[in-house]
Amino acid sequence: MSEMPFDQLDLKRAIAGDERAMQRLWSQHAPHIDAVVRRLCGDPELAADISQEVWMQIFRALPSYRGDSQFGTWAHRIAVNRTLNALRKIRRIAKLEIDIEDDSAITEMDSDRTFVAESIEQAMGKLSPGARAVFVLHDVEGYTHIEIGEELGITPGGSKSQLFKARAKLRKLLAHLVDESPNIAGKGKGHVASV
Amino acid sequence: MSHLSEEQLDQLIAAERSRVEEPLNSWRTIAARAREEGLIRESERSRFWRSGEPWLRAAAAILLLVGGIGIGRATIGLPSGTTGATASTAVTDPPSNTAAAPASISNTNPSPASNISFASVDEASAALDRAVLEYQRASQFIAANNLSARTSDSAAVYRARAEALDKIVNATKSALQGAPHDPVLNQYYLATMGAQAATRQVVSVGLRGF
Repeated sequence: MSEMPFDQLDLKRAIAGDERAMQRLWSQHAPHIDAVVRRLCGDPELAADISQEVWMQIFRALPSYRGDSQFGTWAHRIAVNRTLNALRKIRRIAKLEIDIEDDSAITEMDSDRTFVAESIEQAMGKLSPGARAVFVLHDVEGYTHIEIGEELGITPGGSKSQLFKARAKLRKLLAHLVDESPNIAGKGKGHVASV
Repeated sequence: MSHLSEEQLDQLIAAERSRVEEPLNSWRTIAARAREEGLIRESERSRFWRSGEPWLRAAAAILLLVGGIGIGRATIGLPSGTTGATASTAVTDPPSNTAAAPASISNTNPSPASNISFASVDEASAALDRAVLEYQRASQFIAANNLSARTSDSAAVYRARAEALDKIVNATKSALQGAPHDPVLNQYYLATMGAQAATRQVVSVGLRGF
Protein backbone atom coordinates (compact mmCIF):
# COMPACT_ATOMS: atom_id res chain seq x y z
CA MET A 1 0.00 0.00 0.00
CA SER A 2 1.36 3.39 -0.92
CA GLU A 3 1.75 5.93 1.84
CA MET A 4 -0.59 8.87 1.92
CA PRO A 5 0.15 12.54 2.60
CA PHE A 6 -1.66 12.26 5.90
CA ASP A 7 1.41 10.48 7.20
CA GLN A 8 3.17 13.84 7.23
CA LEU A 9 0.56 15.35 9.52
CA ASP A 10 0.69 12.33 11.78
CA LEU A 11 4.45 12.63 11.84
CA LYS A 12 4.29 16.22 13.05
CA ARG A 13 1.78 15.29 15.72
CA ALA A 14 3.77 12.24 16.74
CA ILE A 15 6.93 14.32 17.08
CA ALA A 16 4.95 16.61 19.36
CA GLY A 17 4.09 13.61 21.54
CA ASP A 18 0.52 13.04 20.39
CA GLU A 19 -0.33 9.48 21.39
CA ARG A 20 -3.11 9.06 18.84
CA ALA A 21 -0.81 10.06 15.99
CA MET A 22 1.87 7.70 17.27
CA GLN A 23 -0.66 4.89 17.52
CA ARG A 24 -1.81 5.49 13.97
CA LEU A 25 1.75 5.35 12.68
CA TRP A 26 2.33 2.19 14.67
CA SER A 27 -0.92 0.59 13.47
CA GLN A 28 -0.06 1.30 9.86
CA HIS A 29 3.55 0.17 9.95
CA ALA A 30 3.87 -2.37 12.77
CA PRO A 31 2.81 -5.39 10.69
CA HIS A 32 5.70 -4.78 8.27
CA ILE A 33 8.26 -3.51 10.77
CA ASP A 34 7.57 -6.32 13.22
CA ALA A 35 7.72 -8.87 10.42
CA VAL A 36 11.34 -8.09 9.62
CA VAL A 37 12.23 -8.17 13.33
CA ARG A 38 10.52 -11.54 13.67
CA ARG A 39 12.32 -12.98 10.67
CA LEU A 40 15.75 -11.76 11.71
CA CYS A 41 15.33 -13.03 15.28
CA GLY A 42 13.79 -16.41 14.55
CA ASP A 43 12.46 -16.40 18.11
CA PRO A 44 9.04 -14.82 18.82
CA GLU A 45 9.74 -13.88 22.44
CA LEU A 46 13.04 -12.28 21.64
CA ALA A 47 11.47 -10.58 18.64
CA ALA A 48 8.74 -9.06 20.84
CA ASP A 49 11.37 -7.59 23.17
CA ILE A 50 13.47 -6.24 20.34
CA SER A 51 10.40 -4.85 18.61
CA GLN A 52 9.73 -2.65 21.63
CA GLU A 53 13.25 -1.26 21.36
CA VAL A 54 12.80 -0.77 17.64
CA TRP A 55 9.63 1.26 18.11
CA MET A 56 11.16 3.35 20.85
CA GLN A 57 14.05 4.11 18.53
CA ILE A 58 11.69 4.99 15.70
CA PHE A 59 9.77 7.42 17.92
CA ARG A 60 12.99 8.89 19.33
CA ALA A 61 14.35 9.41 15.84
CA LEU A 62 11.17 10.91 14.37
CA PRO A 63 12.51 14.49 14.52
CA SER A 64 15.42 13.44 12.30
CA TYR A 65 13.17 12.02 9.59
CA ARG A 66 13.59 14.34 6.60
CA GLY A 67 11.16 12.75 4.22
CA ASP A 68 13.86 11.78 1.72
CA SER A 69 12.37 8.30 1.58
CA GLN A 70 8.96 6.94 2.48
CA PHE A 71 8.38 6.71 6.19
CA GLY A 72 7.99 2.95 5.99
CA THR A 73 11.35 2.58 4.25
CA TRP A 74 13.04 4.83 6.80
CA ALA A 75 11.50 2.97 9.72
CA HIS A 76 12.40 -0.35 8.12
CA ARG A 77 16.08 0.64 8.08
CA ILE A 78 15.92 1.51 11.75
CA ALA A 79 14.27 -1.84 12.45
CA VAL A 80 17.00 -3.76 10.66
CA ASN A 81 19.85 -1.81 12.30
CA ARG A 82 18.34 -1.99 15.75
CA THR A 83 17.57 -5.69 15.47
CA LEU A 84 21.04 -6.59 14.23
CA ASN A 85 22.60 -4.51 17.01
CA ALA A 86 20.40 -6.18 19.60
CA LEU A 87 21.30 -9.61 18.27
CA ARG A 88 24.97 -8.70 18.42
CA LYS A 89 24.61 -7.51 22.00
CA ILE A 90 23.17 -10.78 23.14
CA ARG A 91 25.89 -12.58 21.18
CA ARG A 92 23.47 -14.28 18.82
CA ILE A 93 25.60 -13.05 15.97
CA ALA A 94 28.59 -11.91 17.97
CA LYS A 95 30.92 -13.73 15.61
CA LEU A 96 28.89 -13.05 12.54
CA GLU A 97 31.77 -11.62 10.58
CA ILE A 98 33.72 -14.81 11.20
CA ASP A 99 30.84 -17.26 10.96
CA ILE A 100 29.64 -15.81 7.73
CA GLU A 101 32.69 -17.17 5.94
CA ASP A 102 32.56 -20.48 7.74
CA ASP A 103 30.72 -23.25 5.88
CA SER A 104 30.13 -25.20 9.07
CA ALA A 105 28.09 -22.35 10.52
CA ILE A 106 25.39 -22.49 7.87
CA THR A 107 22.95 -24.06 10.30
CA GLU A 108 22.72 -24.01 14.03
CA MET A 109 21.54 -27.60 14.20
CA ASP A 110 22.98 -29.10 11.08
CA SER A 111 23.33 -32.45 12.83
CA ASP A 112 19.56 -32.72 13.06
CA ARG A 113 19.20 -34.63 9.80
CA THR A 114 15.63 -35.71 10.47
CA PHE A 115 14.26 -32.19 10.80
CA VAL A 116 11.44 -31.40 8.39
CA ALA A 117 10.28 -27.79 8.20
CA GLU A 118 6.57 -27.15 8.00
CA SER A 119 7.02 -23.64 6.69
CA ILE A 120 9.71 -21.38 5.34
CA GLU A 121 9.59 -19.46 8.62
CA GLN A 122 10.38 -22.63 10.53
CA ALA A 123 13.08 -23.54 8.06
CA MET A 124 14.67 -20.10 8.42
CA GLY A 125 14.87 -20.79 12.12
CA LYS A 126 17.26 -23.62 11.34
CA LEU A 127 19.75 -21.34 9.66
CA SER A 128 22.54 -19.82 11.69
CA PRO A 129 21.82 -16.21 12.73
CA GLY A 130 24.31 -14.90 10.19
CA ALA A 131 22.97 -16.98 7.32
CA ARG A 132 19.41 -16.12 8.29
CA ALA A 133 20.27 -12.42 8.32
CA VAL A 134 21.76 -12.61 4.82
CA PHE A 135 18.85 -14.66 3.48
CA VAL A 136 16.16 -12.48 5.06
CA LEU A 137 17.78 -9.22 4.04
CA HIS A 138 18.42 -10.29 0.45
CA ASP A 139 15.63 -12.60 -0.56
CA VAL A 140 12.80 -11.31 1.62
CA GLU A 141 13.62 -7.66 2.22
CA GLY A 142 15.29 -6.90 -1.10
CA TYR A 143 18.68 -5.64 0.09
CA THR A 144 21.60 -5.84 -2.31
CA HIS A 145 24.75 -7.73 -1.36
CA ILE A 146 26.59 -4.43 -1.06
CA GLU A 147 23.99 -3.15 1.40
CA ILE A 148 24.10 -6.40 3.33
CA GLY A 149 27.87 -6.15 3.46
CA GLU A 150 27.58 -2.69 4.99
CA GLU A 151 24.97 -3.82 7.51
CA LEU A 152 26.79 -6.94 8.59
CA GLY A 153 30.39 -5.89 8.11
CA ILE A 154 31.14 -8.57 5.54
CA THR A 155 32.15 -8.53 1.89
CA PRO A 156 29.53 -8.69 -0.87
CA GLY A 157 31.17 -11.92 -1.95
CA GLY A 158 30.73 -13.37 1.52
CA SER A 159 27.10 -12.37 1.43
CA LYS A 160 26.59 -14.08 -1.94
CA SER A 161 28.28 -17.21 -0.74
CA GLN A 162 26.21 -17.32 2.42
CA LEU A 163 23.01 -16.76 0.49
CA PHE A 164 23.79 -19.59 -1.89
CA LYS A 165 24.35 -21.97 0.99
CA ALA A 166 21.31 -20.76 2.90
CA ARG A 167 19.07 -21.31 -0.10
CA ALA A 168 20.48 -24.77 -0.67
CA LYS A 169 19.77 -25.62 2.95
CA LEU A 170 16.24 -24.27 2.77
CA ARG A 171 15.53 -26.23 -0.42
CA LYS A 172 16.56 -29.34 1.43
CA LEU A 173 14.61 -28.57 4.60
CA LEU A 174 11.48 -27.84 2.60
CA ALA A 175 11.88 -30.65 0.07
CA HIS A 176 8.96 -32.63 1.48
CA LEU A 177 6.59 -29.89 0.31
CA VAL A 178 7.18 -31.02 -3.26
CA ASP A 179 5.61 -34.39 -2.54
CA GLU A 180 2.84 -32.98 -0.37
CA SER A 181 1.66 -30.32 -2.75
CA PRO A 182 2.15 -30.17 -6.49
CA ASN A 183 0.71 -26.63 -6.29
CA ILE A 184 4.14 -25.17 -5.69
CA ALA A 185 5.43 -26.35 -9.01
CA GLY A 186 2.22 -25.40 -10.75
CA LYS A 187 2.24 -21.81 -9.65
CA GLY A 188 3.73 -18.90 -11.49
CA LYS A 189 7.28 -17.90 -10.96
CA GLY A 190 7.69 -15.87 -7.83
CA HIS A 191 10.13 -13.14 -7.02
CA VAL A 192 13.64 -13.93 -8.04
CA ALA A 193 16.12 -11.82 -6.19
CA SER A 194 19.02 -10.48 -8.15
CA VAL A 195 22.34 -11.78 -6.99
CA MET B 1 15.23 -36.91 -0.61
CA SER B 2 14.65 -34.54 -3.53
CA HIS B 3 15.20 -30.84 -3.15
CA LEU B 4 12.85 -27.96 -3.72
CA SER B 5 13.70 -26.23 -6.99
CA GLU B 6 15.00 -22.67 -6.96
CA GLU B 7 11.72 -21.54 -8.53
CA GLN B 8 9.66 -23.30 -5.87
CA LEU B 9 11.74 -21.73 -3.14
CA ASP B 10 11.19 -18.31 -4.74
CA GLN B 11 7.44 -18.92 -4.61
CA LEU B 12 7.64 -19.70 -0.91
CA ILE B 13 9.72 -16.58 -0.35
CA ALA B 14 7.19 -14.46 -2.24
CA ALA B 15 4.42 -15.84 -0.05
CA GLU B 16 6.49 -15.18 3.06
CA ARG B 17 7.12 -11.62 1.93
CA SER B 18 3.41 -10.92 1.62
CA ARG B 19 2.45 -12.67 4.84
CA VAL B 20 0.92 -10.33 7.34
CA GLU B 21 0.71 -11.09 11.03
CA GLU B 22 -0.43 -9.10 13.97
CA PRO B 23 2.16 -6.87 15.65
CA LEU B 24 4.47 -8.45 18.19
CA ASN B 25 3.28 -6.15 20.98
CA SER B 26 0.06 -4.36 21.84
CA TRP B 27 -0.13 -0.60 21.54
CA ARG B 28 -0.61 -0.40 25.31
CA THR B 29 2.82 -1.98 25.79
CA ILE B 30 4.48 0.35 23.31
CA ALA B 31 2.63 3.37 24.68
CA ALA B 32 3.65 2.56 28.25
CA ARG B 33 7.30 2.53 27.22
CA ALA B 34 6.90 5.71 25.20
CA ARG B 35 5.19 7.41 28.12
CA GLU B 36 7.99 6.34 30.47
CA GLU B 37 10.54 7.93 28.16
CA GLY B 38 8.52 11.09 27.81
CA LEU B 39 7.92 10.50 24.12
CA ILE B 40 4.17 10.74 24.66
CA ARG B 41 3.10 14.11 25.94
CA GLU B 42 -0.55 14.54 26.68
CA SER B 43 -2.05 17.77 25.45
CA GLU B 44 -4.94 19.60 27.08
CA ARG B 45 -7.06 18.46 24.21
CA SER B 46 -6.21 14.79 24.54
CA ARG B 47 -6.71 14.98 28.30
CA PHE B 48 -10.15 16.39 27.58
CA TRP B 49 -10.97 13.42 25.40
CA ARG B 50 -9.44 10.91 27.76
CA SER B 51 -11.13 12.02 30.93
CA GLY B 52 -13.58 14.80 30.26
CA GLU B 53 -16.24 13.11 28.22
CA PRO B 54 -16.99 9.56 29.28
CA TRP B 55 -20.14 9.47 27.19
CA LEU B 56 -18.08 10.08 24.06
CA ARG B 57 -15.91 7.09 24.83
CA ALA B 58 -19.00 5.00 25.50
CA ALA B 59 -20.43 6.14 22.18
CA ALA B 60 -17.14 5.31 20.53
CA ALA B 61 -17.24 1.83 22.03
CA ILE B 62 -20.76 1.15 20.83
CA LEU B 63 -20.11 2.55 17.38
CA LEU B 64 -16.85 0.69 17.08
CA LEU B 65 -18.27 -2.64 18.12
CA VAL B 66 -21.48 -2.49 16.12
CA GLY B 67 -19.90 -0.90 13.07
CA GLY B 68 -16.65 -2.78 13.38
CA ILE B 69 -18.37 -6.10 13.65
CA GLY B 70 -20.43 -5.24 10.61
CA ILE B 71 -17.24 -4.42 8.71
CA GLY B 72 -15.54 -7.48 10.06
CA ARG B 73 -18.30 -9.90 9.22
CA ALA B 74 -18.49 -8.53 5.74
CA THR B 75 -14.72 -8.74 5.54
CA ILE B 76 -14.55 -12.37 6.49
CA GLY B 77 -17.58 -13.48 4.56
CA LEU B 78 -19.91 -14.35 7.43
CA PRO B 79 -23.60 -13.50 7.54
CA SER B 80 -24.57 -10.45 9.54
CA GLY B 81 -26.53 -10.66 12.78
CA THR B 82 -25.96 -11.44 16.44
CA THR B 83 -23.99 -8.26 16.67
CA GLY B 84 -25.31 -7.39 20.08
CA ALA B 85 -24.19 -10.63 21.66
CA THR B 86 -20.83 -10.49 19.98
CA ALA B 87 -20.32 -6.88 20.96
CA SER B 88 -20.95 -7.49 24.60
CA THR B 89 -18.65 -10.50 24.53
CA ALA B 90 -15.89 -8.43 23.05
CA VAL B 91 -16.21 -5.88 25.81
CA THR B 92 -16.47 -8.21 28.76
CA ASP B 93 -14.14 -11.06 27.90
CA PRO B 94 -10.58 -10.83 29.16
CA PRO B 95 -7.88 -10.40 26.56
CA SER B 96 -6.34 -13.49 25.11
CA ASN B 97 -2.66 -13.96 24.47
CA THR B 98 -2.76 -15.92 21.28
CA ALA B 99 -4.29 -15.59 17.88
CA ALA B 100 -6.04 -18.92 18.38
CA ALA B 101 -7.91 -17.82 21.44
CA PRO B 102 -10.67 -15.86 19.73
CA ALA B 103 -12.03 -19.12 18.37
CA SER B 104 -13.40 -19.86 21.80
CA ILE B 105 -15.09 -16.52 22.18
CA SER B 106 -18.18 -17.55 20.30
CA ASN B 107 -18.65 -20.45 22.69
CA THR B 108 -18.68 -18.34 25.81
CA ASN B 109 -21.83 -16.98 27.36
CA PRO B 110 -22.20 -13.44 26.25
CA SER B 111 -23.13 -10.94 28.92
CA PRO B 112 -25.96 -8.55 28.24
CA ALA B 113 -24.76 -5.04 27.57
CA SER B 114 -26.72 -3.84 30.59
CA ASN B 115 -24.43 -5.86 32.86
CA ILE B 116 -21.34 -3.99 31.75
CA SER B 117 -20.11 -1.66 34.42
CA PHE B 118 -16.86 0.20 34.87
CA ALA B 119 -15.44 1.85 37.93
CA SER B 120 -13.61 4.55 36.03
CA VAL B 121 -13.01 6.04 32.63
CA ASP B 122 -9.57 4.48 32.59
CA GLU B 123 -11.08 1.05 33.22
CA ALA B 124 -13.59 1.55 30.42
CA SER B 125 -10.82 2.81 28.16
CA ALA B 126 -8.72 -0.26 28.91
CA ALA B 127 -11.71 -2.48 28.10
CA LEU B 128 -12.19 -0.62 24.86
CA ASP B 129 -8.55 -1.07 23.90
CA ARG B 130 -8.79 -4.78 24.70
CA ALA B 131 -11.94 -5.04 22.62
CA VAL B 132 -10.20 -3.47 19.64
CA LEU B 133 -7.31 -5.89 20.01
CA GLU B 134 -9.68 -8.85 20.43
CA TYR B 135 -11.64 -7.78 17.41
CA GLN B 136 -8.53 -7.52 15.28
CA ARG B 137 -7.25 -10.88 16.47
CA ALA B 138 -10.60 -12.57 15.94
CA SER B 139 -10.86 -11.11 12.45
CA GLN B 140 -7.41 -12.37 11.58
CA PHE B 141 -8.09 -15.79 13.08
CA ILE B 142 -11.33 -16.24 11.19
CA ALA B 143 -9.73 -14.93 8.04
CA ALA B 144 -7.02 -17.53 8.38
CA ASN B 145 -9.29 -20.42 9.29
CA ASN B 146 -12.68 -19.87 7.72
CA LEU B 147 -12.11 -21.97 4.63
CA SER B 148 -15.76 -21.85 3.62
CA ALA B 149 -15.42 -18.16 2.87
CA ARG B 150 -12.92 -18.85 0.10
CA THR B 151 -15.08 -19.36 -2.92
CA SER B 152 -13.95 -19.79 -6.47
CA ASP B 153 -14.52 -16.12 -7.22
CA SER B 154 -12.90 -15.00 -4.01
CA ALA B 155 -10.11 -13.17 -5.80
CA ALA B 156 -12.62 -10.66 -7.14
CA VAL B 157 -14.33 -10.50 -3.77
CA TYR B 158 -11.05 -9.75 -2.02
CA ARG B 159 -10.17 -7.08 -4.52
CA ALA B 160 -13.52 -5.38 -3.98
CA ARG B 161 -13.16 -5.75 -0.23
CA ALA B 162 -9.64 -4.33 -0.23
CA GLU B 163 -10.77 -1.35 -2.30
CA ALA B 164 -13.69 -0.70 0.04
CA LEU B 165 -11.47 -0.88 3.09
CA ASP B 166 -8.96 1.45 1.47
CA LYS B 167 -11.76 3.96 0.94
CA ILE B 168 -12.86 3.68 4.56
CA VAL B 169 -9.29 4.13 5.76
CA ASN B 170 -8.90 7.16 3.50
CA ALA B 171 -12.19 8.62 4.68
CA THR B 172 -11.34 8.24 8.36
CA LYS B 173 -7.84 9.54 7.73
CA SER B 174 -9.23 12.62 6.05
CA ALA B 175 -11.68 13.14 8.89
CA LEU B 176 -8.87 12.77 11.42
CA GLN B 177 -7.07 15.70 9.86
CA GLY B 178 -9.76 17.95 11.25
CA ALA B 179 -10.33 16.01 14.45
CA PRO B 180 -7.15 14.08 15.28
CA HIS B 181 -8.21 13.33 18.84
CA ASP B 182 -11.77 12.24 18.16
CA PRO B 183 -12.16 8.82 19.78
CA VAL B 184 -14.91 7.62 17.44
CA LEU B 185 -12.89 8.37 14.32
CA ASN B 186 -9.75 6.92 15.84
CA GLN B 187 -11.43 3.68 16.81
CA TYR B 188 -13.06 3.35 13.39
CA TYR B 189 -9.70 4.00 11.76
CA LEU B 190 -7.95 1.40 13.89
CA ALA B 191 -10.73 -1.16 13.47
CA THR B 192 -10.63 -0.72 9.70
CA MET B 193 -6.87 -1.12 9.75
CA GLY B 194 -7.51 -4.44 11.52
CA ALA B 195 -9.97 -5.48 8.84
CA GLN B 196 -7.43 -4.53 6.20
CA ALA B 197 -4.82 -6.71 7.88
CA ALA B 198 -7.31 -9.58 8.05
CA THR B 199 -8.06 -9.26 4.35
CA ARG B 200 -4.39 -9.24 3.50
CA GLN B 201 -3.90 -12.29 5.66
CA VAL B 202 -6.58 -14.16 3.72
CA VAL B 203 -4.84 -13.27 0.49
CA SER B 204 -1.52 -14.26 2.00
CA VAL B 205 -2.86 -17.63 3.21
CA GLY B 206 -4.48 -18.15 -0.15
CA LEU B 207 -1.16 -17.53 -1.85
CA ARG B 208 0.57 -20.02 0.35
CA GLY B 209 -2.21 -22.52 -0.29
CA PHE B 210 -0.25 -25.61 0.61
